[in-house]
Amino acid sequence: MSRLYNVSSSPHARNRLNTSGVMYNVILALLPAAVFGVYRYGFRAFLVIAVSVLSAVLTEFIFDFITKKNNTVKDGSAVVTGLLLALCLPAGVPVYVPFAGSLFAILFVKCFFGGLGHNFMNPALAGRCFLLLSFSGVMADYSVDGISSSTPLEVLAAGQPVDVMDAFLGFGGGVIGSSIVALCLGGLYLWVIGAITFEIPVTVLVSFSVFIGLFGGQGFDPMYIWLHLATGGVVMGAVFMATDPVTSPVTSLGQILFGLLTGILCGVFRIFGSTPDSVSYAIIIANLAVPLIDEISVPVPYGFRKQREGKKGIPKSALILCAITLIAGAALSGVFGMTKERIEEQQMAASAASYREVCPGAASFSYDEDLKAAIEALGGEIYGTEFGKAYINEAVVGVDESGAEAGYVLSVTSADGFGGNHITLSVGLSVEGTINGISFTELNETAGMGMLCGEEPFKGQFAGVNTEKFILNKAGGSTAENEIDTVSGASVSSGAVVNAVNAALDFYAEYIR
Amino acid sequence: MLRKTFHGGVHPADGKKFARDIPFQTYLPKGDLIFALNQHIGKPAKPVVQKGDTVLAGQIIAEADGFVSAHVVSSCSGKVKAVESRTTVAGTLSPCIVVENDGNYTLAEGVGTQREASSLSNQEIVEFVKAAGIIGLGGAGFPTHVKLMPKNPEEIRYVIANGAECEPYITCDDQLMRTAPEEIVAGLKIMLQLFPNAEGVIVIEENKPEAIAAMEKACAGQGKVRVQAVHTKYPQGGERSIISVVAGKHLKLGMLPADVGCVVDNVATIQAIYRAVCKSEPLMERGFTVSGDGVKNPCNLMVKIGTGFAEVLEAAGGFAEGKEVQKLICGGPMMGIAMAGLDVPICKNNNALTVLCEDPVAVAEKQQTACLRCGRCNQVCPLGLTPQMMAVAAERKNYERYEKKLYGLECIACGSCTYICPAKRPLMQLFKQAKAEIMAAKKK
Repeated sequence: MSRLYNVSSSPHARNRLNTSGVMYNVILALLPAAVFGVYRYGFRAFLVIAVSVLSAVLTEFIFDFITKKNNTVKDGSAVVTGLLLALCLPAGVPVYVPFAGSLFAILFVKCFFGGLGHNFMNPALAGRCFLLLSFSGVMADYSVDGISSSTPLEVLAAGQPVDVMDAFLGFGGGVIGSSIVALCLGGLYLWVIGAITFEIPVTVLVSFSVFIGLFGGQGFDPMYIWLHLATGGVVMGAVFMATDPVTSPVTSLGQILFGLLTGILCGVFRIFGSTPDSVSYAIIIANLAVPLIDEISVPVPYGFRKQREGKKGIPKSALILCAITLIAGAALSGVFGMTKERIEEQQMAASAASYREVCPGAASFSYDEDLKAAIEALGGEIYGTEFGKAYINEAVVGVDESGAEAGYVLSVTSADGFGGNHITLSVGLSVEGTINGISFTELNETAGMGMLCGEEPFKGQFAGVNTEKFILNKAGGSTAENEIDTVSGASVSSGAVVNAVNAALDFYAEYIR
Repeated sequence: MLRKTFHGGVHPADGKKFARDIPFQTYLPKGDLIFALNQHIGKPAKPVVQKGDTVLAGQIIAEADGFVSAHVVSSCSGKVKAVESRTTVAGTLSPCIVVENDGNYTLAEGVGTQREASSLSNQEIVEFVKAAGIIGLGGAGFPTHVKLMPKNPEEIRYVIANGAECEPYITCDDQLMRTAPEEIVAGLKIMLQLFPNAEGVIVIEENKPEAIAAMEKACAGQGKVRVQAVHTKYPQGGERSIISVVAGKHLKLGMLPADVGCVVDNVATIQAIYRAVCKSEPLMERGFTVSGDGVKNPCNLMVKIGTGFAEVLEAAGGFAEGKEVQKLICGGPMMGIAMAGLDVPICKNNNALTVLCEDPVAVAEKQQTACLRCGRCNQVCPLGLTPQMMAVAAERKNYERYEKKLYGLECIACGSCTYICPAKRPLMQLFKQAKAEIMAAKKK
């Protein structure tokens, strides 16, 4: 019997491009943005990228090893996820942030759902959203090595002008991969080699622009729309995140619908939402709609098109999705609008209550012009040098029924809570400068530990003391009046509170006394 | 230059360099010739000879059985050795007539009689084509005389001579157009006699400039025949692709080209029509390419139908020295059939033997990953199908969805999706299996 040769189903030819090739192309396309980030932010940016990529790769490697799967690291998809995540982070984040983000992205979003090709939302974006929720403080801190910089988006939200050219080139502050030029260069490369289609980026950007024009409150002012496009990772999202093949629709029509949905959601969150990270949330929510979009966007083969066109089959499904998007968008924006007001009302009510609590003699509170000016002069920057990241929000004078001064209340925020969380508290002082008490308006520390700062045994230590400065006693058993025993196991939270109160005392000494 | 083209398609490495400039050599077989009775689409032919009978070259040895069927003609003279089942290209057993070749090629009576086509009636032309046992020589093997008898001959607008030859490695049509352009044009004009309102269009991919030049020269001053050079893209030679390019119409399952006013035949088939009608020559030989990196002397041959593949390989010098051959393909790599061995005969519709030292399918299997949903398959499908979704439905054996929602049965098995897939999914295999199971269920 002569030798038998290989038999298989046709075709007996394969294109050279394989899965790794697809991934390496994306990595190549991301390099300009990454290189620019390192150039702009220096070693910190490199460190964040390195940690993010390495933890993504290691997580996948270890997961494959433990579950006895074939090693899938060499397909390069973990590198892509790590790199994408890093480019969406501020360069100044502590290294545990990219590590935690990559771990979550790879393990929970990708591996647990079956690995490459089975994840239902973009792992890098899911990782970023996880970080936004878990480490909101450091994720919103765009200062690098102590030099603070507001993101263009924050400046924009504050109604101040943004240097468009800076934002375009990537000098405007923000995340590592914030250079629009570099991102567009990468996107163009992917489009030229056919790795992405134009449908998604174009529809996302166009529908987002139109939405901003319609609901942004400034009409179709090209500069204003351009500002929105150039900030907050819209280009990054449209070019690299929304085009992730695994989590976007497979057909041309589906991709257009997906792009519309993403762009509109992005606009809704940007205009009516409370977070500047509209793109991330818009894309992962649109990711969830992909199975539905796929289902309604199955194309009709060429031979059948004519007869279908008579029935208007394709436009109908497109209209349905557009309608769904618009209704959902309108509903969401309505809810956002209402809840935003409610939240503000509640916050005002909460602070009024807390002011009364720490200034019992006061019937009402009045703003002193001098104090107001002093706070405005601070410009929302960190107060002083020895109180960590403390901010003075407000200083009011308590007035009793006869109209005499009954005391003072200062609202202080410390951004040094556990994991960078914000702690906001009101400090009440008598006219003599004795502390009436402190009251928290924002405290989101670890339950049973940092949260105990809000309880009487800890916060009661401040009441009735007249001092210039409190000292944190980590050993416990304080004897001096101005010594504060730390909450056991929560020295970070306790320290932040003491710093905040000290900042208030310092402000009192400087401007009120 | 920008040419009209069809939707989708791919650009595989064409491998034409091996044999494109090598002229035909006639190869006369030494061993027995084997004539399968089911070389064409439709009912197998009925044998009209028995073991021990003497047959002549050009003699009908099996007759068409029914409307869609074709005669089988002996391509040599000799003695019928057996009428039995033999292994054919697909690896299955088929009824065959085995003729012991006496090496004389004595022609049967009447073969070679010259006649003028213009004096013949339509009925006579179709009869001559049928008697010659001509089927589509491009690959599918549809009986040609059936194509020449559409219900509405006056509504045919285009008679398309398919010289696209988009399949990689194969160059026999290219050589045929270079060496016998007048015979192709003459055959095309015979067909135009049947379709008074049609024009003849010879479609050639632009990677064959010599063939385009030769055909254009032969068309000059011949009336309603012209050459249309088209973009080089696979599957340009597919019936649906070529019709969409020439006539701008799209076919669907159950439709014939005649339904959109087209008749499509391979250039080799059209040459065979000319020879059958004007020279009384039945279909006894055909152009055949032996190519690939595993062949010592890649070449184009004129081979007798029924010759064994092993003999044809010997005629091309055998396997290339110092290389290990992994894959033998009847036809080209995109739509050809992989053969376990070479002890099978050449049928009328087999146009090439491709010998590869590296099996791309085996390489691809090692690189296989989960589907990335990148959508490249959807982009390249020349029919506008969604192979990505079809594959999911086929894997889950959700045949209802496969057939109704995704139009899976429309697939023409061109393999473009499978070629382009970066995840190296075995799409074509899934589709073939799905189609087979759906068709089997329908027969019940």
